[in-house]
Amino acid sequence: RIMPVRWSRYNPSYLEPEVKKESYQKPLEELTEEEREQMELKAVRPIKAAPLTLSSSVFSDPMISKFTNMMMKSGNKVLARSLMSQTLEAIKRKQLEKYHKAPENEKETIECNPYIIFHQALKNCQPIIGLSNITKGGKTYQVPVPLTDNRKRFLAMKWLITECRENKRRRTMMPEKLSQELLLAFNNEGPVIKKKHVLHKMAEANRAYAHFRWW
Amino acid sequence: LRLICTTTAVQRKNIEASGPEKYTEAFIKKQIEEFNLGKRHLANMMGEDPETFTQEDIDRAIAYLFPSGLFDKQARPMMKHPTEVFPEQRKIQWGEDGRPFHFLFYTGKPSYYSLMHETYEKLLNVQKHQDQLLADDLPLQKEKRNLAGSRWLTRIELEEMLLEKVSDHDYSRFIQLLEKLVAQPCADIEEKYIQKFSKEVPVQLQQVVIEPLQHDERGVAFSTGEGKRKTARATAVVYDNGTGKITVNGIDILHYFPVLQDREQLLFPFQFLGRIGKHDMVCTVSGGGRSAQAGAIRLASAKALRSFVTEKEVEFMRQAGLLTVDPRVKERKKPGQEGPRRKFTWKKR
Repeated sequence: RIMPVRWSRYNPSYLEPEVKKESYQKPLEELTEEEREQMELKAVRPIKAAPLTLSSSVFSDPMISKFTNMMMKSGNKVLARSLMSQTLEAIKRKQLEKYHKAPENEKETIECNPYIIFHQALKNCQPIIGLSNITKGGKTYQVPVPLTDNRKRFLAMKWLITECRENKRRRTMMPEKLSQELLLAFNNEGPVIKKKHVLHKMAEANRAYAHFRWW
Repeated sequence: LRLICTTTAVQRKNIEASGPEKYTEAFIKKQIEEFNLGKRHLANMMGEDPETFTQEDIDRAIAYLFPSGLFDKQARPMMKHPTEVFPEQRKIQWGEDGRPFHFLFYTGKPSYYSLMHETYEKLLNVQKHQDQLLADDLPLQKEKRNLAGSRWLTRIELEEMLLEKVSDHDYSRFIQLLEKLVAQPCADIEEKYIQKFSKEVPVQLQQVVIEPLQHDERGVAFSTGEGKRKTARATAVVYDNGTGKITVNGIDILHYFPVLQDREQLLFPFQFLGRIGKHDMVCTVSGGGRSAQAGAIRLASAKALRSFVTEKEVEFMRQAGLLTVDPRVKERKKPGQEGPRRKFTWKKR
């Protein structure tokens, strides 16, 4: 059983809410056994309240809200959200410019949907393997270690944000720089992808210490 | 002859070491007789029939004869059956020669370990039965028990059953054994034994009553709902045959909630049910901040929409988290720390 390290105001028997409308419109026959058990369990147990960042509308995306939260400084969600929407707008504008200038045969390959670009860029930035410090016999070694999905997503988002905050010129706005980085990451170029490759190479170089890991 | 030198302090009876007061069976019997006699006397005093004098009548009589202004109900004079007053205790577990009755007495928790032994015995029985069926090439029964409708006894209920303390670790071991027993395909043999430790959970959590629709002077159906979040309290009135206009405290939502996120939250219940342009809403809200007010109105509108919608959709709304009150509030500041979690700056000297 998992004991919560930091306590939450909810009783541990409360389950997470399911916001998407489509999951409630599936007829009974299509569900697998596990889903049926889940449904029965949900009918009996109480359910937590949906957080204010989540909504069933088409425009709410959990990844985008996570990214907005990470960009937020001292609780200023309004500013973070406006920056995010300006970024997506900037991506769309750049892609549309490219689309109108391109010749006929290349028009289909250019991706205009900013959400797809965002997701693909994040996926391209995610490292596969990470390094962790393990102390053995007085010396600390950097040992290659597999990463969980959550950790990969977090690292990708963190790298993007730090990259945009530190390496931009004084006059460029954050949305502009972010949209630039996202487009580069979408095409597998740019400093964030380079950082990911550097990490992979370090992990490959420290391959000899992989047996130090005990989990 | 040996002179044993002791101080007066040691010769005094060690009251703390002997544990809680132990009552003999004869004492409890006497208390029950006295209680019954007292009940008849009380009935005579109140002028009622001694044969049909229930516990409620006793409580009323005592409250009438001995009025008390004390706030704590437990501190007021009461007359209850001795089994409720004296906690159920283990009878003394050893005979006159000092030899304990139970073979596991010296483990310290005899009833817990004997329970574990019994459960394991049942498990071995089930496994033997399975092996027999396999040897005879008969098919194993695979009827799954309905796990969602029942729950195991809690630790406190188990303590009451065994009359001794059960630690967290012991309790989790016991539950693991029970789960293992239930997971066996032929666990139906020991159904009776398992039912002693499982309790029914009310199958549907729809214990809330859905109010019917009310109609105002023009004949338009409407319903009200109340919601709260942190310190904000909101009431919402949802009208039918509307155009989708939402008014908060007399102001349109575009002016009251300039932030997109709050407006999204207001429209969330309507969008979930697919009824965006069909309802009008008038709400009043006070207290809290921007997001808290939005959350409170969301809850109030979801509760109001319950009357317009079928039961299945109400269940879907509940599973989407629209109908639960958010219990998260601001955590208090603790002494010795700067905030609820932040500690003071650590200085080495």
